[in-house]
Amino acid sequence: MHMVVLTKGVPDFREGQVSFDEDGHLERGKTPTVMNPNDRFALEAALQTRVRHGGRVSVMSMGPPGYKEVLREAMETVYADDLHLVSDREMAAADTWATAITLSAGIETLGEPDVVFAGFKTADGETGHTGPQTNWCLDMPLVTHVISLDIDEGAGTLRAKRLVEGDIEEIETVETELPAFVVADPEFEPSYRTAGERLTLKDLREETRARAENYEEHLTVRDHADINVDPDYIGLDGSPTIVSSVDPIPKAPAEREATMVDPDDAGAMQDVLTAMQSAVGDGDGDAAAAGGD
Amino acid sequence: MTDFDPGDYEISELGPAIKDIDDLGELEEILQAEHRGQNRAPAIALIESRIEKFSEDDEEPADADGLDLASMSTAAVGNALQSVEEVSELESLLEREEAGEDRDPVTRLIRNRIDSVKGSDEEDTEIEVDDRTPEERHPDLDHPTRDKRHVRSLHGGTYRDMWVYCETQAGELVDVSKEMLGKARELMDTYNDDYTTDERVVAVLIGADVSKHVEDVIAYGADVVVVREDARLERFQHKPYTEIFCDMARAGATHQNFEVTDGRDEPWRDYDKPRYVLFPATNNGRDLSALVQAELDSGLASDCSGLYITEEVISNPVKTGVAGEKKEFQRVLHMKRPDFSGFEYSTILCIDNPTREFHPQGASVIPGSFDVPEPDHEREGLVVEHDAPLDDDWFRVTVTDYDRLDEGIDLTGHEVIVAVGRGIGDDPTKGIELALDLADQFEDAEVGVTRGIVTGSFNFDGHVEQYTHEDRQIGETGQVVAPKLYVAAGISGAVQHKVGMDESDTIVAVNTDPDARIRDFSDYFIEGDLFEVLPRLTTALKEGRFEAAVASDGGRAASTPPAGTPDDGAGAGAAADDRGESR
Repeated sequence: MHMVVLTKGVPDFREGQVSFDEDGHLERGKTPTVMNPNDRFALEAALQTRVRHGGRVSVMSMGPPGYKEVLREAMETVYADDLHLVSDREMAAADTWATAITLSAGIETLGEPDVVFAGFKTADGETGHTGPQTNWCLDMPLVTHVISLDIDEGAGTLRAKRLVEGDIEEIETVETELPAFVVADPEFEPSYRTAGERLTLKDLREETRARAENYEEHLTVRDHADINVDPDYIGLDGSPTIVSSVDPIPKAPAEREATMVDPDDAGAMQDVLTAMQSAVGDGDGDAAAAGGD
Repeated sequence: MTDFDPGDYEISELGPAIKDIDDLGELEEILQAEHRGQNRAPAIALIESRIEKFSEDDEEPADADGLDLASMSTAAVGNALQSVEEVSELESLLEREEAGEDRDPVTRLIRNRIDSVKGSDEEDTEIEVDDRTPEERHPDLDHPTRDKRHVRSLHGGTYRDMWVYCETQAGELVDVSKEMLGKARELMDTYNDDYTTDERVVAVLIGADVSKHVEDVIAYGADVVVVREDARLERFQHKPYTEIFCDMARAGATHQNFEVTDGRDEPWRDYDKPRYVLFPATNNGRDLSALVQAELDSGLASDCSGLYITEEVISNPVKTGVAGEKKEFQRVLHMKRPDFSGFEYSTILCIDNPTREFHPQGASVIPGSFDVPEPDHEREGLVVEHDAPLDDDWFRVTVTDYDRLDEGIDLTGHEVIVAVGRGIGDDPTKGIELALDLADQFEDAEVGVTRGIVTGSFNFDGHVEQYTHEDRQIGETGQVVAPKLYVAAGISGAVQHKVGMDESDTIVAVNTDPDARIRDFSDYFIEGDLFEVLPRLTTALKEGRFEAAVASDGGRAASTPPAGTPDDGAGAGAAADDRGESR
């Protein structure tokens, strides 16, 4: 089995602030980059497949050279065999469609994988479009929002449970043939049923430790000519959408005059307590407060 | 001297906190205070970037000759270049860099600066649109992107109408479909007035048994309904739904190499593709939106909560075709979406390139963003049945089974909601436990969370994790609650959260930052650390009065409980067992 997992570096929203340049594009330089948290589930799905069926896992990302670190992180998560970065100034400021065209061309340079995995939304764009759109370029059977996955290698089929939402929530079971494209849901749970699988997992982890230390030896960087895409159809040039403005969330006018309370001021805190008790309002609160005097 | 102590702030709070400080001296003091104090690298980076910003603002145009390039980092060169306005100076800098360190990023920065300075000098000069074909421009490539199926947009196409994909589930129209129809009706009524035209709202229904919704869809605002029914379409499937929608949108035509071929003659329409398309931002609706727009070779914004149509002046040369020149685009759908976990609103536009028209302009819409309109059953509309053949090859993914999940937690209708936000970041598991303990003091209370908790990367222990999922999210994209008592702990009060709770009778906020927005819509604002304040409130509620809570332990730990033991957090809102008596 050959699996390709897509990942992306995103600003680490836990630290500092996100900033934008004057054209409204995210300024990545000012925020540390980490692997997109949702991609972990795609990596987990690929890892589970590899543990059960063996084979090779390739991880691919599109982004600036600094994303190498993200790929290293991905290698450690999924015990990947090889890493691939498509990176080129021509690819900068791509929206999801231009990204999908680029990534699909990148994947095609890796041959014909049996399964391509992508995560759901990225923490920065939060669109959820890139996986499905990349798949549309590759024209593989697509299964999205996958929360569990079973592959029958002999029969060449894939069965998955997927999450459907709307006015009601449903779990669907779907089946398709390989090769296929899987978008993992953040609720994806890998499962390692047998001791043999858990042993394989352990061996893979050991093996990867050494590989990750010299991860750059396993990394291939490709530009637009390497993946044979036209600069007019990638990056900003190939992007239908632009960000026209980014506004701070507007500050709502004050609607209530808050009583400021110092938590060390017992009297003031007693007032809050009384207000809380009388808010639930069955009379008990007042009685209790009175009883406390 | 400043009394601002950066040590009082979490990294995530520090950015917003220093945002309004613009005095360089004060910022320097804060930086020193951080160095002396916790000396956190991200905090230092934040403060330094703030200092850098103001240092730049104050700078006089730099003397380019005075720059010692070799000693400067790439970023420092970039900053310094911004104040160099002379092309000749920039060119001499470029020569010096090339003769010296010759760093790629630096030479690129200088070249970019030269381009931008030249660009602004040449504003009056007409620059021809480069209309050479990509093959002529990039002869080194064999142009597969173009040969493959991906480029299907037109040049000189005609576009009309707003199409709305009406999702159904378990045989019913989902609410967001009605909400979108109402919004589409409103947008197109205004549009038709503004542009003196008569473009329509076109609803699309795809499924096994969907024609029963035709009348409703018209009542909610559609002028035309395009319907496809087939037994194989009972469940949503990506490939056939996308192919069918696109076949409807192009009336069966093939769009390739900027040409339209074949296509059905449909008397009700005279355009190549829709002007706008809307989809629900549900799991399936969002997938469909992405695939349809990929097939139609256009763009979209996902998870929008605001839409309007107006003109827009664009200066981006990719869109105008002319560097340094502005161009007004008409009839642009402005798509507003909460971004970056609710930090900001972005407005996304889908704009034609000079030789590649990105239509339809697409959006997916967050359920609940717009009101369900009052249906008008007198409205009349046209029904168009789609019956193009379905290709067996589209059905390679089959749905073999499906199960309805139990309803998630309903937070509405409870007397008390205890909600927590990012303020629990220091010890997220403890934060949830404290909220659960407080909720347990009431007969009918539930615990809710902000979007920041749901989408953040906090690590929760297993026993509280269930309380941190989307089904407990309060706000614009979650549930809207109006309990008798709302306790907001560690919640800053973003407007998306506010709309989910500001109808509550009594609102008590607990926050360390007295300027947190939540203060503006709270009745009581306890200025303190929730890790200290919540246990005090819990104990006080147990005891029935406050004095005891403080007196007994200073508030940090729970005092000896009068009955039972502190909950292990397994049962938020599982109603009070012993609380009735203890009060």
